[in-house]
Amino acid sequence: MSIRSEARPWLSANFGLVALAALPALLMIAALTYFTVWVFTISFTDLGLVGTKSVNWNWVGFDNYDRLINRRGFLESLWVTMVFTFFSAIVGQSVLGFALAALLRTLQLRLRTCLEIAIMLGWLLPDVVAAFLWSATTAEAGLINQVLLVPLGFEPVNFLNELALPVVIIANVWKGTAWSYLLFSAALDSVPREVLEAAKVDGATKWQRTRRVTLPMIRSHIGTNTLFITIWTFTYFPMIYAMTGGGPGRQTKVLSIFMFEQSFKIGKLGYGAAISVAMLLIVGVMAIGYMRLLKEPE
Amino acid sequence: MKIKAFLSATAASVALIGGAAQAEVSIMYADWLASLVEPGIEAYEKATGEKVEAIKLPGEGYVERVALDLASGTASDVIQMDSFVVSELASAGYIGALDEQLGGWDQYQHYLAGLTEVVSYNGNVYALPTDTDVRMLWYSVPVMEAAGIALPWAPKSWDDVLDAARQIKEKTGIEDAFALPAGTKRGEATTMQGFYMALLGADVPEAGRNRLRDWDAGKWVGDSPAIRRTLELYKTIYIDEELGTQSLHYTGDVDSNIREALREGEIGIVASGSWENGCIFNCEGTDLSQAERDKLVNWAPWPGSGVEGAMATTNISGGWAIGLNENADDKDEAFALLATIFDYGNFQKWTVENGRMAVRTDISESAEYAADPFLARATPLASATTGRDTYPGYQVVSALVQQMTADVLDGVSVDDAVAEYKAGLIDEFGEDAVMTYE
Repeated sequence: MSIRSEARPWLSANFGLVALAALPALLMIAALTYFTVWVFTISFTDLGLVGTKSVNWNWVGFDNYDRLINRRGFLESLWVTMVFTFFSAIVGQSVLGFALAALLRTLQLRLRTCLEIAIMLGWLLPDVVAAFLWSATTAEAGLINQVLLVPLGFEPVNFLNELALPVVIIANVWKGTAWSYLLFSAALDSVPREVLEAAKVDGATKWQRTRRVTLPMIRSHIGTNTLFITIWTFTYFPMIYAMTGGGPGRQTKVLSIFMFEQSFKIGKLGYGAAISVAMLLIVGVMAIGYMRLLKEPE
Repeated sequence: MKIKAFLSATAASVALIGGAAQAEVSIMYADWLASLVEPGIEAYEKATGEKVEAIKLPGEGYVERVALDLASGTASDVIQMDSFVVSELASAGYIGALDEQLGGWDQYQHYLAGLTEVVSYNGNVYALPTDTDVRMLWYSVPVMEAAGIALPWAPKSWDDVLDAARQIKEKTGIEDAFALPAGTKRGEATTMQGFYMALLGADVPEAGRNRLRDWDAGKWVGDSPAIRRTLELYKTIYIDEELGTQSLHYTGDVDSNIREALREGEIGIVASGSWENGCIFNCEGTDLSQAERDKLVNWAPWPGSGVEGAMATTNISGGWAIGLNENADDKDEAFALLATIFDYGNFQKWTVENGRMAVRTDISESAEYAADPFLARATPLASATTGRDTYPGYQVVSALVQQMTADVLDGVSVDDAVAEYKAGLIDEFGEDAVMTYE
């Protein structure tokens, strides 16, 4: 008897059992990919939410994808989403979160706790409540105008009318910074004190210590954080929709709102599915980019 | 064999549990209709001893919610819906025809035939209308007085309306001198209270010249002088002269915000409809007398553009309706609830108290209805009204119209916005189903 058959005494002969053992895993994979496959499939149809096209739909090939490029809407929303994501996720939440984490470490414990609670409160507030507060704060009769601009002699500004995108970006930074702050705080705690002190003894300045010691050591945290918040922000919907409904015009119509309108307001499920697939691909490409960043340099 | 037995036993028990939980009748309705629906539910529960599952939803996004729940099979048995979606929902097989049950209900004979036609599809009635409406320009009396405009205000053309708005902006500094519904967030309000009211008066009323659809040709109008003039009106208001702010139409709770602003004298003119006589104060019934209301807000009919041959005043009517889910567990129970809500006592009281336009002759002929000063003044507008183009696909057309106004708000030229609209229509219906007026 060969060693090979001794090592696999009965399992190899029993395909049914192998299949049965694999079943939970296969079910899991099927459950995970079910919606994606479904969305991908209907993106090649003109399926409607209501009306005759909800029953008698047709295959339309790449028509929906063609319209992503050749009709107004998708590319405009993609640009708005990119601007929103870049400023609110990367510049705002990541950089501000890191700066706060670095700064608050140097403070006294009690003061630090107070500030941490303040940062966390924005994060804990439900999106729609936060949206209402921001709308009220930036309204013409709101806090910023009445307490800051008008007493200083400026004309009141209707921020959501004049500067809708900057306002939702700032609101989202305010709301989301807590996550980056927490993550970076924990990351900075993990940098061993001895290494930093050794660098100091070797004559490295504060900037050099941050640049050459701390940042490389928390590289993977930065990558993970950026990956998460980019994905979240790229597909973010509730607070923007509650504050501006995607308007005025298309000023704050990010892809998630555009997809929602096309799918459920207009009822073009097929086109909405094509928008989702495009979003999936874009987020996928960004995720791969970040994963590369996460890898240790050779 | 064993597996089969097990499966059928499981299925049976699931059906049993499900059946027990669904024995009651369920109904979904928008919060603003509570004053009609809730007394009906109460009466039904008292009469039958059955519990009604009432699902009260916010008015914002209600139309989308109904479509989504019906499509996914989670909608209630009895459903309130905007009358313009009835044909779409019926053509999809989501809601059931009521003809058989209506035949056995003695109050059905009082419904106006023209209005049951709106809620019909292929010759069958699919829902019962709650009300109909007319559209007009509401204005704040104090704001008009402050701007030095003679009251009662009676504009004869778009220029008169724009002049009043300019005067309001200049004399009072109010940014929202004229709130003309625009953009995608307002949904059907943009199409009906805004775009269509202007479109009807933008050109001569011949075939599709002043409409979204040419019914004689059987085609959607992709481009016409009337569409262009209407977009120019939007451009004048929101871009060129800034007689209104765009953001007003994108706030979290648009309707409440606009009503409050009008009440408080922060808006000059609002394009809306007859329901506002109650809703500006409270959609579910207000204690303010008509004389007190008239001191704060009043209205004027929408004038035509002033183009030669166009109508002097315009109007388009819609309204809401209540129908039954095609998959309702017990259609007889569901219809019994529907009939209780629309029972004369409840329905007449709601119609009069809320200043709604009656859909039944027994209500319109009642002494209380005839004595209402607002209804007496508004009802003549209904004599020369029209309905929207509820041909299958209207919902897409309406959404494209909303998008077209949003494009203009966004600074897109009228030429480009119309071209985009026409391309969108061709995408949806094909080249042969879309026409152009030069």
